[in-house]
Amino acid sequence: MKALMSVGALVGVIGLLLLVGMIFDVVPSNTVRLVEGYMPMQMITELAIFVGSFAGLSYMLSAMGMGIPRFWQGIAFWAFILLYLKFRVYPPIPFSVRAMYGTVSLVAVFMWMSSNEEDWKKFKQPIMNVMDAQTGMNKLLRYAYLILLPILIGGFSYNAMVPKSEEPIELRTVHPAPPASTKVHGKTYVLQTSQNPYRVNPEGKYDQEYTNANIVEQGMGRLMKPNANPWDQNAQGYLKYVREGGEIFFQNCHFCHGDNLNGRGLHAFAFNPIPANFTDPGTIAQLQETFIFWRVSKGGIGLPNEGFPWASVMPPWEQHLTVDEIWKVILFEYWHTGYYPRTWD
Amino acid sequence: MGLATRKKVFSIMALCAMVGLLLFPIVMSLPTPASGEEAPAADGAKKEGDKVEKGRDVYYKTEGIVVGAPAPKTTDGPKDYPRYNFESRVLLWFANQQHLYYGSFVLAVPIFCMVIEFMGVVTKDKALAKRYDQLAYDFIKISLTAYSLTAILGGILIFTFLTLYPAFFGYLSSIFRPVMHIYALMFVAESGTLYIYYYGWDKMKEGFLKWIHLSMSVILNVIGTLLMFLANSWIGFMMSPAGVDEQGRFLGNIWHVIHTALWNPLNVHRILGNMAFGGGVVAAYAAYKFLAAKTEEDRAHYDWMGYIAMALGVAFLIPLPFAGYWLMREVYAYRQQMGITLMGGLLAWLFIIQATMIGILFLSTNYYLWQAMGRMRGAEKYQRYIKYLVFLLAVGFLVFITPHTMVMTPAELKAMGGQQHPVLGNYGVMSAKNGGINVIITTTVLSFVWYMRGNKVSTVSWAKFGNIFMGVFFACAYVNIVWLAIYGYYIPANVRVGLSVPQVATTLSCLFFMFALNSVMMKGAKQMGPIEWGKISARSQYALIMLATAFTWMMGLMGYIRSSVRLFWHVNEIMRDNSPWAYTHTVGFAANMISFNVLFFWISILFVFWLGSLAAKKVPVEAKAGVPGSAPQPAGSH
Repeated sequence: MKALMSVGALVGVIGLLLLVGMIFDVVPSNTVRLVEGYMPMQMITELAIFVGSFAGLSYMLSAMGMGIPRFWQGIAFWAFILLYLKFRVYPPIPFSVRAMYGTVSLVAVFMWMSSNEEDWKKFKQPIMNVMDAQTGMNKLLRYAYLILLPILIGGFSYNAMVPKSEEPIELRTVHPAPPASTKVHGKTYVLQTSQNPYRVNPEGKYDQEYTNANIVEQGMGRLMKPNANPWDQNAQGYLKYVREGGEIFFQNCHFCHGDNLNGRGLHAFAFNPIPANFTDPGTIAQLQETFIFWRVSKGGIGLPNEGFPWASVMPPWEQHLTVDEIWKVILFEYWHTGYYPRTWD
Repeated sequence: MGLATRKKVFSIMALCAMVGLLLFPIVMSLPTPASGEEAPAADGAKKEGDKVEKGRDVYYKTEGIVVGAPAPKTTDGPKDYPRYNFESRVLLWFANQQHLYYGSFVLAVPIFCMVIEFMGVVTKDKALAKRYDQLAYDFIKISLTAYSLTAILGGILIFTFLTLYPAFFGYLSSIFRPVMHIYALMFVAESGTLYIYYYGWDKMKEGFLKWIHLSMSVILNVIGTLLMFLANSWIGFMMSPAGVDEQGRFLGNIWHVIHTALWNPLNVHRILGNMAFGGGVVAAYAAYKFLAAKTEEDRAHYDWMGYIAMALGVAFLIPLPFAGYWLMREVYAYRQQMGITLMGGLLAWLFIIQATMIGILFLSTNYYLWQAMGRMRGAEKYQRYIKYLVFLLAVGFLVFITPHTMVMTPAELKAMGGQQHPVLGNYGVMSAKNGGINVIITTTVLSFVWYMRGNKVSTVSWAKFGNIFMGVFFACAYVNIVWLAIYGYYIPANVRVGLSVPQVATTLSCLFFMFALNSVMMKGAKQMGPIEWGKISARSQYALIMLATAFTWMMGLMGYIRSSVRLFWHVNEIMRDNSPWAYTHTVGFAANMISFNVLFFWISILFVFWLGSLAAKKVPVEAKAGVPGSAPQPAGSH
């Protein structure tokens, strides 16, 4: 047990040193990389390792008679979480989310510190000592708090109220609610029931299963199945339509949505917000194919009033493409990203 | 005829009367769905030859003879939208919400009474049986005043509808005419049953009569539940209309109108939600009484009451997210745009707030249980592991509340390189969130298991093996939940939705198998010491109050979300809202309004509690004597 705790403590110290190094730019921030595709679990695993290591560190320090008081343990752990979120995770997390995480972490620290009476007493002790002010130092601290706290609160209030010239924060709805049906080139499409006419099997019948089978790996669909190459000029049926969709995409869409469909095209960063990233599991993978059909057809200008402003500059493609072309380009988008459209059967 | 026999006869007669009351509205209504207004229309059709107008059901797609008027096309003005110098919708919101709070309370509390009275009847410990009986009686006493308030608030609600939305209410009542009559009759049946149940308590307290009394509570609850189902049919119709054609004309089949796409999930979700809410309110009442108690005996009694109410509430809280998930799935399957408005669109941020409230509920429950372990000798052995449970809960919570649509400045957006964050973006979708909530629930189950074995040491020969098995079972459950959450990213969305089933099954397996195994292991276990009722920290009671407040707030929030998803429709896609308020409120306004409703409810329920205390019944002496930890505690009590 002691050996395990020692290893934990060692890992904790190394981890902390790395984090401090990253904060002060002594250690390159990508020393321990967050690997694409594994980042979410990597972050949780790192935090779990830190928790285990801190337990080991605390155990070792106590064994050596240098135990850190409960109060400071709690404060230090919370500070660690805040610093970890700010300096470890890249690209940076918006402040609003860090504030939410920080609050949850604070509550968690409180729950940990007050889960039993003994710990709670230990945690409260330094606070009570300052309130009681039995020693000179504590008396001084109490006066200092008495003066500093109102100044601090006043400062925060002033900062909150003072007019600013910063850009305002935005809460943009990612998925606008589609209508029940949409009219494109004079024909009405019911979004709940319409189907992509090019999602067909070799017999030419609508077949979602068949088309899904031509995607090798979900989320990494750039890999092609053997004998399922849409760029082959002899490809027929579904694969042929994928190719045709791809041609339309590269003639019209890739300037904004990017060669890899990740929303980072040539013009992408001229827009705010930047175009949708189709490789993200939160975009087309979450939606029915008819939703995309409606979005592509009507563009930014056709978005519903509720939740306005949308700030989407996508043109209404029905003015430039035929219905068939729109369906084909959607087929290509799903094929290329490796996602399947949402269905309810 | 002896006194006892006469009582028996009267009791049986009362029970039969209740059954009669229960069946009366149904019998009365039988001819209605059978013939409805179809018959006269059909007769008329015969007379007029072939001039029968037929319509197609918007949901069931069946053909039916048109027997109702189309939904009115309202215009903004005093005819369709008469108003005070105030937003009518907000007045209706307030009246609706208050009626719902009280309605939920009076639906839940009699169910608690039934459960607690039953526990009292079956327990062999006489002192404990009396305590249970007294507790059930206290509950029903509170619910009696609340019942009157529910009826009053229901009246206010109808008047608000009639005066401010006459065209809409007229249309709704024309469709639901027979249902509304049955509803009113059921309300009469509920009142009659409740009064007989309450006033017959002392007369039927022993032997065979007690069982009759218990049967009455079953009937009372059946009536209450049916009442709620009927009310649900109205909101179900407003969200997902059926039984009418595209113009909103009734097609003669009342069952289609009731049994809409969302009726069943709404029923399940609401009954669980009401029970959890009722438990929370009673627990908060007990917590308040505990904090205000002057004697050790009172503290012990209210500590125990708070625990029972919390346990009942949480028992219904655990399946609640799954029922909610089913409801959302059905909403999505019914209309894509409704699902998107709720989960990814306009109302998505309210779901983040909802996730926060759910997290608070589970965190409060766990915290209470850890505090409750402080009143058991022997539970210290678990204390040092609590930090790991905190970690699991916090991580589950963080994932669960991560927004898919983040609030940020344009500078932050550019630094992030897009709307989705490569790390957190994956937490923002359902697959990860399902993992998060299942981890939270499984951890809550683990806390309960620890609490149940807090002051006990198993004496069965296979105790060591049992402990290892339980540990491995929980570890595998966590691995399975997390693995399925990750795997969910690599499969189509419709299959991913199906993955929630094995996730839920894992969580529920922990709940049922581990509780069962733990109970077997703890049978005849060595007690390290009694549960010292009343010796719990004040913090735990604040956790109970937090639990109740979070329930109330969340109920208000979810009601608002469910209703708002119709956007500018009174009845979705059938009757448009043409009032000046056919827009969705901002998140901030909604939060303020919900908070006001919560505050009003809590102030008014304090008044109800105060009224209840005016006619306080003396607690039997022998029951009081047994309370502070001296009475043997059956395994079921903790």
